Amino acid sequence: MSGDTAVTIQVPGALRDCCGGALQVLLSASNVRAALEELERRHPSLYRSVCDETGTVRRHVNLFVNTSNVRDREGLDTALAPGDVVTILPAISGG
Amino acid sequence: MPERLILCVGTKKGLFVAEAPRTRRKFTLRGPFGSGVAVYAALIDRRGTPRLYASSCNAFFGMKVLRSTDLGKTFKETKSAPAFPKEDGRALANIWSLEAGGGKKDLWCGVEPASLFRSSDGGDSWEMVSGISNHEHARKWQPGNGGLCMHTILRDGNRVHLGISTGGHYLSEDGGATFTASNQGIGAGFVPDPYPEFGQCVHKIAGHKDAPGRLYIQNHGGWPDRPGIGVLRSDDYGHTWRSIADGLPSDFGFPIVVHPHDADTVYVMPLEPATRTCPGGSPAVWRSEDGGESWRRLARGLPKKESFFTIQRDAMDIDQLKSPALYFGTTTGQLWIGRDGGEEWECLFESLPPIHCVKAAVV
Repeated sequence: MSGDTAVTIQVPGALRDCCGGALQVLLSASNVRAALEELERRHPSLYRSVCDETGTVRRHVNLFVNTSNVRDREGLDTALAPGDVVTILPAISGG
Repeated sequence: MPERLILCVGTKKGLFVAEAPRTRRKFTLRGPFGSGVAVYAALIDRRGTPRLYASSCNAFFGMKVLRSTDLGKTFKETKSAPAFPKEDGRALANIWSLEAGGGKKDLWCGVEPASLFRSSDGGDSWEMVSGISNHEHARKWQPGNGGLCMHTILRDGNRVHLGISTGGHYLSEDGGATFTASNQGIGAGFVPDPYPEFGQCVHKIAGHKDAPGRLYIQNHGGWPDRPGIGVLRSDDYGHTWRSIADGLPSDFGFPIVVHPHDADTVYVMPLEPATRTCPGGSPAVWRSEDGGESWRRLARGLPKKESFFTIQRDAMDIDQLKSPALYFGTTTGQLWIGRDGGEEWECLFESLPPIHCVKAAVV
């Protein structure tokens, strides 16, 4: 992994079985799309839980870069900087 | 090990497994498995060492297939679930049917949007069946209220019957390589042509392994201007169909079930089309013992009034014992047993989550 593009993927509890129980996955990626592609290579089951077959992020899954929802930024093209944390979270459910 | 009865009960909140000795006097309940996630399809695979399968339709993280090799004491996800090829453009929205295939570990799976998948390794890997999934009609099918679902897969050697809502009945006679819309006599109340080539809202198809030419359909009936199109029978392997709805209080309903030892005995649960609940708030299963020529109401033990539940398309089944029992689950979370072929009803569990599917088998 290249040190200057290192980012952290935070995995929610419900999906940790998809990556051997890990709370975090460390990888190198310049934007969110590249991070997901790397996740697909390393942990296909985790990737498939976040994105459907068309590569679209599932409707009830949110991706945050640090504290920003990527839907409020440039979506999958949101750029990543060294040290960024990408957090996968299920959308709020219930009343 | 003595045989016992297993029920798989798929609910809005996960899968439950009920078990009883052959006497069926007392059932014990396990679960929920896949907790909190809806289960629309289950399979009790009796080939060799019994295996239980269930779909797990996670609104957050997508579709999974659960498998148990210890009769439903524990479940694990299979290595993968059905998925469309990346370039296809469709994405799996639900899993509606799981059926055993020809080989020991072969499985067939019907999904939403209506497509068919096969596995040859007990559900660890899946391949789309192009003959129906990319059929020239496939992009013209429209979703019914439950979604564009492939809910029925019936196999008889090289014949494969599929039920699609709304697509109709499709038949393959070459083991699933190619399919033809086979809807002659199956009506539709929601399009100008009362008998279209395809596009019918078939709710469920049932057959009998010892009489493969005989099939029954619970179709979307309940149309005042097109009466009698809701309950149908075929005697020619599904090439043509005719109404057997005379004598029923409504030709609308979802499940249809055939007696395991008599292809002439068939069960339906008529519902009022507007509410999808039993006529008069008084639930009853209706049985024909002459292939649908006449019907008899079976309601002893069921509520006599003020019951307004729905029984979904896969929420009724029958076991294979000499005097079989029927089972149905309700959208209000009750699981009922109808002993002696539905003569006497008893509520086994009163407060489960809303029930999507019920499968029964002696293993």
